[in-house]
Amino acid sequence: METGISLPEDLSAQIDDILLELRRKAEAECVLLADISGQLVSAQGRLEDIDPVTVAALAAGDVAAMSELVRQIGEPNPHGSFLHEGENKSIYLFSVAGSFLLIVIFGADTPIGLMRLFVRRAAERLYPLTAEFEEVMGQPQDVPLGDFSATLADELDRVFGGL
Amino acid sequence: MFINWKLREINLKIVYYGPALSGKTTNLQYIHAKTNPNIRGELVSLKTRGDRTLYFDFLQLELGQIAGLKPRFNLYTVPGQSYYVGSRRLVLQGADGIVFVADSQRERFQANVEAVKDMAENLRSLGLNPESMPLVLQCNKQDLPNAVQPSVLQRRLGMTKVTCFPSVAIKGTGVFDTLKAIINLVVAQAQKKL
Ligand SMILES: Nc1nc2c(ncn2[C@@H]2O[C@H](COP(=O)(O)OP(=O)(O)O)[C@@H](O)[C@H]2O)c(=O)[nH]1
Ligand SMILES: [Mg+2]
Repeated sequence: METGISLPEDLSAQIDDILLELRRKAEAECVLLADISGQLVSAQGRLEDIDPVTVAALAAGDVAAMSELVRQIGEPNPHGSFLHEGENKSIYLFSVAGSFLLIVIFGADTPIGLMRLFVRRAAERLYPLTAEFEEVMGQPQDVPLGDFSATLADELDRVFGGL
Repeated sequence: MFINWKLREINLKIVYYGPALSGKTTNLQYIHAKTNPNIRGELVSLKTRGDRTLYFDFLQLELGQIAGLKPRFNLYTVPGQSYYVGSRRLVLQGADGIVFVADSQRERFQANVEAVKDMAENLRSLGLNPESMPLVLQCNKQDLPNAVQPSVLQRRLGMTKVTCFPSVAIKGTGVFDTLKAIINLVVAQAQKKL
């Protein structure tokens, strides 16, 4: 992923819709999509109690470590799903084609079996979109950064000045 | 770099790389301690009992809108110990820029050299070109009596063309200069590519 990526608005809207529907059907608190480098792509649902960016970064780290662990024990397909069941809140991580990650956070009342089913369905719908997304990522983007970079340098001096 | 036009956010992933105990975590701790809580998240450290970084440290900074885009910087450190090669590679994935935190102490010289080599290998294994990765060198622990001059380190690490800052991360000297430099470099490079 060497070139810059930018998520077109229509693709972004489709992804958001899938996550929203998953959230509703699975009765989850919130649903996040991240790429395997830990970059948050979308977050839907009740987000007041969590920091989605940090959750995405940690989930990606966890999945990478888990995949390595699973590879060590001789499992040929290291891209699966991981569930942590907590007393009040639980988290389910599901790898979408090895390059994206669905993160579902849910409470004690959510039926886990159904949730898994809806996650798998959502992942199937996300798969072609993420492929499109990856294609977009591979290409240099026509991103107008001119004003941005000049102002950013000043802003960094202002915010970090004297620290 | 990741731009979400819907949310009008621009995300950069900056990785602090270097040998074990060179001061990578200390950089993030200082940034976390000094920045306004409004613009930064929690400093997340995954460490072992020995206080060594296990997977990585993570800190996000978010500035207000600039030219219609909200910049967000995701800062990571990598664990230095050689047996954590897996998590170093993971953290490098999708990196937009790297700060190489060298330990300036004379006896850590070989450790720096090995970390540079290891960094290049890991980048290549991820399909990234080490030559074109935005890089800033930080020569840390300049306060110690056995510290070598930054220019010497720069030469011996093959980084004479790389922007270099002497630093004392525990006191914060050079920490924000380094951060500003890598962010500006990443954005400048992204612009050049277009
Ligand atoms: N003397 C001195 N010690 C430092 C400096 N920066 C970090 N340290 C110390 O070096 C040790 C390792 O630092 P740490 O940030 O954990 O290293 P990391 O393994 O690269 O994350 C800690 O005891 C720090 O307090 C510095 O500039 N000068
Ligand atoms: Mg550390």
